[in-house]
Amino acid sequence: MNNTEKIKKSLNKRYRKEKRFRLLSLLAVLTGFACLFILLVDMIIKALPAFIQTEVKLDIHFDQEKLELAAHFEPEELQNANFRGLIKQSLQQRFPTVRKRSDKRALMRLISVDAEYQLRDKLQAEPQLLGETVPIWLLVDDDVDTYLKSDKQFGRVSQKQIAWITELEQQERFQKRFNYWFFQTGDSREPELAGILGAVMGSFYTLLVTLLLSFPIGVMAAVYLEEFAPRNRWIDLIEVNINNLAAVPSIVFGLLGLAVFINFFGVPRSAPLVGGMVLALMTLPTIIIASRSAIKAVSPSMREAALGLGASKVQVAFHHVVPLAMPGILTGTIIGLAQALGETAPLLMIGMVAFIVDIPQGVTDAATVLPVQIYLWADSPERAFVAKTAAAILVLLLFLVAMNGLAVWLRKKFERMF
Amino acid sequence: MTTTNIEQKVNETWGKPFVDNAKISIRNMDVFYADKQAVFDVNLDIAKHEVIALIGPSGCGKSTFLRCLNRMNDTIPICRVAGDISLDGENIYDTNMDPVLLRARVGMVFQKPNPFPKSVYENVAYGPRLHGLALNRAELDDIVVTSLKKAGLYNEVKDRLHSIATGLSGGQQQRLCIARTIAISPEVILMDEPASALDPIATAIIEELIDELRKNYTIAIVTHSMQQAARVSQRTAYFHLGRIIEVGETSQIFTNPQHELTENYITGRFG
Amino acid sequence: MNVSTLLVTLVALALFSYVFGKQRALSIAKHNRRRLHSIPSYYGYMTALWCGLPALLLLFLWLCFETVVIEQLLIASLPSDIQSLSSGQLSLVLNDLKLLATQDLMDSHTEPMKREAVQYLLSMQATSHSLRTILVLVLAFAGAAWGLSRVIGKTPARIWVEKVVLFFLILSSTVAILTTIGIILSLLFESHRFFGEIPPQDFLFGTKWSPQTALRSDQVGSSGSFGAIPLFLGTLLISSIAMLVAVPIGLMSAIYLSEYASPVFRSIAKPVLEILAGVPTVVYGFFAALTVAPFIRHWGETIGLDVASESALATGLVMGIMIIPFISSLSDDVISVVPQALRDGSYSLGVTQSETIRLVVIPAALPGIIGGILLAFSRAIGETMIVVMAAGLSANLTINPLETVTTVTVQIVTLLTGDQEFDSAKTLAAFALAIMLFISTLILNIIALYIVRQYREEYE
Repeated sequence: MNNTEKIKKSLNKRYRKEKRFRLLSLLAVLTGFACLFILLVDMIIKALPAFIQTEVKLDIHFDQEKLELAAHFEPEELQNANFRGLIKQSLQQRFPTVRKRSDKRALMRLISVDAEYQLRDKLQAEPQLLGETVPIWLLVDDDVDTYLKSDKQFGRVSQKQIAWITELEQQERFQKRFNYWFFQTGDSREPELAGILGAVMGSFYTLLVTLLLSFPIGVMAAVYLEEFAPRNRWIDLIEVNINNLAAVPSIVFGLLGLAVFINFFGVPRSAPLVGGMVLALMTLPTIIIASRSAIKAVSPSMREAALGLGASKVQVAFHHVVPLAMPGILTGTIIGLAQALGETAPLLMIGMVAFIVDIPQGVTDAATVLPVQIYLWADSPERAFVAKTAAAILVLLLFLVAMNGLAVWLRKKFERMF
Repeated sequence: MTTTNIEQKVNETWGKPFVDNAKISIRNMDVFYADKQAVFDVNLDIAKHEVIALIGPSGCGKSTFLRCLNRMNDTIPICRVAGDISLDGENIYDTNMDPVLLRARVGMVFQKPNPFPKSVYENVAYGPRLHGLALNRAELDDIVVTSLKKAGLYNEVKDRLHSIATGLSGGQQQRLCIARTIAISPEVILMDEPASALDPIATAIIEELIDELRKNYTIAIVTHSMQQAARVSQRTAYFHLGRIIEVGETSQIFTNPQHELTENYITGRFG
Repeated sequence: MNVSTLLVTLVALALFSYVFGKQRALSIAKHNRRRLHSIPSYYGYMTALWCGLPALLLLFLWLCFETVVIEQLLIASLPSDIQSLSSGQLSLVLNDLKLLATQDLMDSHTEPMKREAVQYLLSMQATSHSLRTILVLVLAFAGAAWGLSRVIGKTPARIWVEKVVLFFLILSSTVAILTTIGIILSLLFESHRFFGEIPPQDFLFGTKWSPQTALRSDQVGSSGSFGAIPLFLGTLLISSIAMLVAVPIGLMSAIYLSEYASPVFRSIAKPVLEILAGVPTVVYGFFAALTVAPFIRHWGETIGLDVASESALATGLVMGIMIIPFISSLSDDVISVVPQALRDGSYSLGVTQSETIRLVVIPAALPGIIGGILLAFSRAIGETMIVVMAAGLSANLTINPLETVTTVTVQIVTLLTGDQEFDSAKTLAAFALAIMLFISTLILNIIALYIVRQYREEYE
């Protein structure tokens, strides 16, 4: 048997192996796709209920006596009036057979604790309603909401409550509407009241601080390293440092913030200021590395032309090199900020994990950020928070997609210039 | 002679492109890279147990031509070959032709030595092992030693068969690549400027080796050096801008070229 | 004036100084162009810098040391019996006083001593604030005046301004080094205090981790033991599972994308895979805790296995998904560096593509791939959110992936979130854990970067 025949004989088996290997590697790529697909679909399915909120229609009699208001009352007294009593009264009229105290309490638990404030706001806006009986849509409690959304497969409502819910349902007193509330409020212990606006604003202020610190420092450092730095050991050390910082676990930056910024310099805890400072340190390597490669890409002839016209090195750097490198620098900055927006662990270390209801108004107010809000909600026992968490995740992903899209657009737009 | 005269004469091949005992025969071969044509209507026979030298100025398509003879150009997606090329009468671009098997029959040595970053032994044993040419370790050892001996490298590396091949000198690396090729006993060996990256002494050794290998193999060698072509080959083909201008006995091409362009090239007027 | 108003005022003053400086230079130039060393706007910059920089520096220093100084003064004013308290108790008292001061919580029940201290604190704060405003503004005006007086023809304003600019460039470039030093010092300092209480060998080689220090001495099992071996083992277990998932999938993906895929498929598939790397880790944590872990538990039950609800397997699996794109893009990079000549050499011997990949390309790229894997591994052990949300808290000494384990990062988060006083061994332990984490990732990174650089130099 000569060599050609021997090789021919071996080839069948080898081609089968070839096919198997190729298939296997394609499968690996598809597995990656599948993971991404499952992750996204899972989030969307879980998030959908959060965008819908159930309301119940109750006939409310704005009874001055029940409200515990005198015949003539000051507008401020309305703040502390007994609106809860109105709801109680209305429910009792609807379900007159409920007598036991515990049952009455269970009945009240069908309605969100926020309902009384809804009534107060309504009366403040329309004072002529006093003494009238009007049907009003009120928020239901999250347990009822979840029960109605989950095809009645949810165990946190009692048999009695189910009976009442069914009765209300038969009278068509439930309606589902888009949950705009979710985008308008801060955090709450009650899932039906919790919103992400507080966290979004917290993220905004934090990223603002991050941008204001890391962008100038990063660009200046990159300009120095590319345009001015001598080649010596000190510069080598800086470069090694930058590369290493890019790979230090994020939680370590949180500890740095805790030990240095908070305990040593006394920067207020839980505030976007300290969060932004920590994230700025984390973002710096990304910005420096991106800016350096953008600056490197500016053709040397540009520098020589300017130097030849008698410009100083500083003028060359800031009048010519930096403007030309700006698209690349901005792309790197946006990518760095997108990473910072998704970062959670270091912020836990500096107290941005507190429960904060108010929407922050500035960089020194206590605040939380979107990813930390997700972490907090994911930890909450109420079933309704699962949907809220997934919805917050979708919002976060949306912001990230927008930022990365902007970076890609910038790169594409200015790609042709060079 | 004016330029127009030369232009008129490039469209046909001068000399004797065809032989009786052809190992590889090429008819009307065109090669394209995307829309750009690199080789134009080449007709040539390569005889059994001969060394044919392909000479010509750089960028004339001789390397492209060579790489088409064992379908190495398959790895370049934009490359397209037209015409008939047959090995022992079988069309190598036929759908039934297995490129892997073809390459086992038509080996190739490259311009820059490219040993694998493995030991000397593993470099030579690589092909035979994959093709199942040795039944056991002893047979494999035998193939490795024989191939190294044939490549004239055995005495230099017998003490370091298991040290890494990239540590050898350039000339040794190139002979290792030849040993690697002959370890699977191909019928044809294509050499793409095998000595261009080597010093004169290493080149001389390689040239001797090529002469030695002619007994068992058919060899096509692309070279920049006319002296080398004169020393190692029996026939020579001169390429110009993707065409074969003239083919003939090496002695005849170098002493008595018939085409103006060939004469210009070998007398050093351009190239 | 609060800090932000002060900052805005300073910026406005600096702008005015710029205009004045430039005007003055222009008026000199009007008489004689030759008399000016630099163009007028540089005199403007110079004046603005003189106005803004010293004032900003003063403000910055004031803000840095204000709290510390006031605290020291407050302590000095307190009765001696309080002063002699231990540092932990003293800081409790101080916190109490600060809380009273900020929240205006004093009423008739507050002890007179505290009332006095709080009033003293408030008055000091008020003094500090007004003093700060006055001094900063005075310095700004003085600086501007000095700057203006220097606007004379022979002042080399451009050179002076460029020197300042260069100083700031150098300062910016040292931030990276300062950060590293800050990390090392803060970790070393706090863990030094920890090792003062707990012997290092107990921490490094102890096998029992239960960081609850006793509230009462007679409590059972709350002596607080800080043996970190279960944490190290748990971290290794979860990271190893992650690597087992990510390395084959990532490497094979890289092979498909770089060797087999058509350019069109590659240009789509690469960014899609990289989306996986851009998903925030908190999202993976949620996915692991609420989707994957219950799924695995359920699946385990159907085949009769007892799977913990916070199993290491689920956590590691999801972490692996996160790491796939790291491995694939790093491997893709190094595979594309392997010279085509090696592939050609193999193909010319009649070797199939997969044989070439397995026997030539991958071995040649191996150093680079290993470097990438080390980087990914360092990422896995430092990963926090996935494990915090999906791994457990109980420090089991096990390598069974179906059980619950805890990791170094989980414990750091647990020890430092919630209301703990800062000085207890429990919180300091977090810093000792962090320094272990920092050192191990640092070593992994340095080795990985070194290997990758060597590898690239070999082929470039």
